[in-house]
Amino acid sequence: MYYHEKQNYVNIFSGIFITAVFAYIVYHRHITGQIDITGEYKTWGILMLIFVGISIVARIIIQIIFHIINAIVTREEEIPKKDERDKMIGLKAIRNAYYAMSGIMVLTILFLAVGMPVYGVFIAFVISGLVTELVENSSKIYYYRKGS
Amino acid sequence: MSSSQIQNNIRRLRFDRNEMTQQQLADAVGVSRQTIVAIEKGNYSPSLELAFKIAREFGLKLEEVFSYDEPD
Repeated sequence: MYYHEKQNYVNIFSGIFITAVFAYIVYHRHITGQIDITGEYKTWGILMLIFVGISIVARIIIQIIFHIINAIVTREEEIPKKDERDKMIGLKAIRNAYYAMSGIMVLTILFLAVGMPVYGVFIAFVISGLVTELVENSSKIYYYRKGS
Repeated sequence: MSSSQIQNNIRRLRFDRNEMTQQQLADAVGVSRQTIVAIEKGNYSPSLELAFKIAREFGLKLEEVFSYDEPD
C-alpha cells in the first residue's frame, strides 16, 4: 500500500481516538460535577483550546510512531514526495470535507431553530471536526483506490 | 477499463525500452509509481508538464505517446 494511502488510515484512527478520549474526559468531568458544559461558554472556550492543543501534539506523536513503524516494516526511510496526482486527490478530498462541514453547520442551525440548547453548537464543532476529517481521509482512500 | 478520453501507449513504450519498469519511469519523471499505474490505465490524465516529461523520457513527441479521442 502507498505511503500516503496508509497515512490516511492513521489519520482516521487518530481522529477517532483523540476525539473519543476528549469526549469521554469532558463527559466524565461533567457528570462528576468538575465542569459544567451546559452553562458557561468560557468553559467551552478553554475546553476547545485544550482540545486543539492536545490534538496537534497527539497527532504529531502518532505520525512519528507511524513513520518509524512504516520505515521498519518497508525499509523505506524517506517519505515519498507528494506528486501532482496526490495534490489533485488532496484537493478533491478537501472539497468533499468542505461539503460535509457545510452540511453539519446547516444541520446545527436547523437544530438551534427547533430548540437545541446553545452549548449544542460547541458539541457540533467537535463532531464536525471529526466528520470532516473522516470524510477527507476516506475520500483520499477512495480516490487512491479508484486510481484517479 | 479506461475512464479518460486521453489514451496512451506508455505500457508498450516501456516494453520496447528493454522492459523499463513503472518505478524506473516514475523516478525518471519525478512522480510515484502509483501515478504511472493510474496514467497507464487511463484513470488519471497527467498535467501537460508531466505528459511532456514522459514523452521526452521516451524521446518521442507528445502526440506519439498520448492521443485524445473525441467524445461521441
